[in-house]
Amino acid sequence: MFEDVLAFAALPLAAAIVFTGIHTWFGLQVLRRNVVFADLALAQVSALGATMAVVAGHAVQSAAGYAYTLIFTAVGALLLTASRGLARSVRQEAFIGVLYVVATAATVLVVDRSPQGAEHVKKMLVGGILSVTGDELVKFIILYSIIGVIHWLLRRPLLAAAGHADTPMDVGKIAFWDLVFYLSFGVVVTSSVATAGVLLVFCFLIVPALVGSLFSSHIGVALVIGWIAGAVASAAGIFGSFLLDAPTGAVTVVTFAAVLVVAGGIRAFITAPAAERGRNRQRGLHVGGLVLCLVLGLSGAWVIIAPAGDHPILAMIETATGIGPDRFMTARERADYLEAAAIERRHKGEIDRLYDRERQSRWQGDELTPDDIRRIGSMQQTLTEMGRGERFVMDYLRTRGRERERWYVGLPLAAIGFVAAATIARRARRAR
Amino acid sequence: MLVLVCLLGLSLIVQPAAAGSMRVVATTSDLASLAQAVTGDLAQVETIIPPAADPEAFEPRPSDLAKLKDASAVIRVGLGYDHWLDKLLSMHGDAAVNRGGAGYVDASVGIPLLEVKGSSVDPANRDGHAHGLANPHYWLDPANAGIITGAIAEAGIRVAPQATAKIIANRDGFLSRLKADLAEWEQLLVAHRAARLIAYHNTWPYFARHFRLNIVDVIEIKEGVAPSPARLAKLAATIREQKIRVIVHEPFEPEEASQLLARRTGAVVVKLAPSVGSVPAASDYLALFGYNVGTLARALSAASN
Repeated sequence: MFEDVLAFAALPLAAAIVFTGIHTWFGLQVLRRNVVFADLALAQVSALGATMAVVAGHAVQSAAGYAYTLIFTAVGALLLTASRGLARSVRQEAFIGVLYVVATAATVLVVDRSPQGAEHVKKMLVGGILSVTGDELVKFIILYSIIGVIHWLLRRPLLAAAGHADTPMDVGKIAFWDLVFYLSFGVVVTSSVATAGVLLVFCFLIVPALVGSLFSSHIGVALVIGWIAGAVASAAGIFGSFLLDAPTGAVTVVTFAAVLVVAGGIRAFITAPAAERGRNRQRGLHVGGLVLCLVLGLSGAWVIIAPAGDHPILAMIETATGIGPDRFMTARERADYLEAAAIERRHKGEIDRLYDRERQSRWQGDELTPDDIRRIGSMQQTLTEMGRGERFVMDYLRTRGRERERWYVGLPLAAIGFVAAATIARRARRAR
Repeated sequence: MLVLVCLLGLSLIVQPAAAGSMRVVATTSDLASLAQAVTGDLAQVETIIPPAADPEAFEPRPSDLAKLKDASAVIRVGLGYDHWLDKLLSMHGDAAVNRGGAGYVDASVGIPLLEVKGSSVDPANRDGHAHGLANPHYWLDPANAGIITGAIAEAGIRVAPQATAKIIANRDGFLSRLKADLAEWEQLLVAHRAARLIAYHNTWPYFARHFRLNIVDVIEIKEGVAPSPARLAKLAATIREQKIRVIVHEPFEPEEASQLLARRTGAVVVKLAPSVGSVPAASDYLALFGYNVGTLARALSAASN
């Protein structure tokens, strides 16, 4: 089992780190160019190419498939290069957004003609980094090394073109270096999106670059910090998905966000200059306290207004303190509540027992007759409905308990929450 | 007057020429194939869900509403599998093919259902089907074809009583062909009784029950959500411990997880057709089983050698 876990985690982790390596570099440039969504647009245009290839009857991994994808990516790169020239009075991002939605819509229209279209579109979004193979990884490493070396050699003109309006560089040159940038970016994004999906690639690209930029404006330092942050987030995401037993791509996106939040916290509260740090800490305490007190106050008010509604915060407090609605039931109500819970558990057990019996009989012992199956089905259905009835009783009794609980718990909670929030707000204003 | 004559003439051309022929609409290709077998040349049968697509991710389009216009009978899987049909039918408005009408067939009525969970939508249900009452893949037990064709034949007779004899003869002919083939299929799989399999999606309980196979576990527990790595590791351990040699996979499902497990454990991925038309060889209901049974028997024999 442990060996399997390692085997399933090692390749995806290696792939995530390789992706972070190249994407952080591109991300830093993307941030400088202010074209954050260019990767989505390029990825979607290349996905449109891949989809056209599939509909035309070629495999995505065939030579024809690559040709389709590369031609579309090149067209996308040209359009992005042109969009900088077009964007005189508006932000370039607007054109990039249009390119993205048009490419997405075109992909939907194209896949609509093929039966497995929906699956294909979903795969582009979520990807399958978990199932990356060793061969694919080697290909990525070779491809990204070549692009990385080229970019290292051309870093000065590329960064100059990415940089600021006051750089003395004529329009033709800027357009040329933009095209070089978007073409290589397109090749990278096309290959990574096919494996990791649009959501995760966006994280690889933007989050480490953002973290790096938080701590340094020097691109080399930012790159190294970004790499470290990306590697930590990837490892946390992939091992987190094992621990939580949840899909890898989605968990990794969340851990990237968490790393960004933590990095923001470190920047604001620990590494900032002393004066700024003190101010940030105070402000952080005020805002955090205010939000917490308001949530508690609102949650208390909500249980007073609607005791029968959903009370997630109150439920958390109840679980933590052990003071639940059952404390506020009459002895009779509590007995009924516990009995209903016990009966519901019994019904569930019985449903599972019937299910197991039917499952075993599919291949073991005597076959059940159709009438046996019908009888089991009708018993399962009846038990499910009866269980639902017990749950209704429990909900009803819990509401009765909450109706009393609101005066003992909800009212103090609301009072304390709102008074504390008001105090913090007054203090914060005075501090300013 | 001239205009009126022209209009009349036009409407004669537009109307389908054969007045006696029925139009039957089935939500899936499996039901369409069974309906075609029962109605023979009496009806023109149309399918709503394209055969190679994932039926549980299907969304209807305007052209599907057009298909329901002037349909004499509508046949559905039921159990929430084709829940979108209710909306189409209520927009369509013809009482004869709506619930309770003479041409409305819910093919799940009377089927001995497996994995029954309840009678209404249960958000906490665990078997990967987003909707419904029980596992909906009941057409994959050939013994259920008798019940399904019975319901279709009854509706056909209600709609076109003059064709009663023909419909009954068609159905009897189909069932006797099925019976002959069934003996052959059972013979092919008898050596693999209680064979252990892993399936990608929980599509096969009816098939497994009929041919007495043991589907130990499924890869995708929640429809459309990729399995987590912890689950894959657990499945890999199960495959090794129980010496499972075959992973059953549907052609339209994402292949990565199944292939990954196969690479790690040495099991083979076998693509079976969950519906008529999912693979080219499964051209009708009988061919569907011919293909699935043949493919599975070959894979299991190769694995045991």
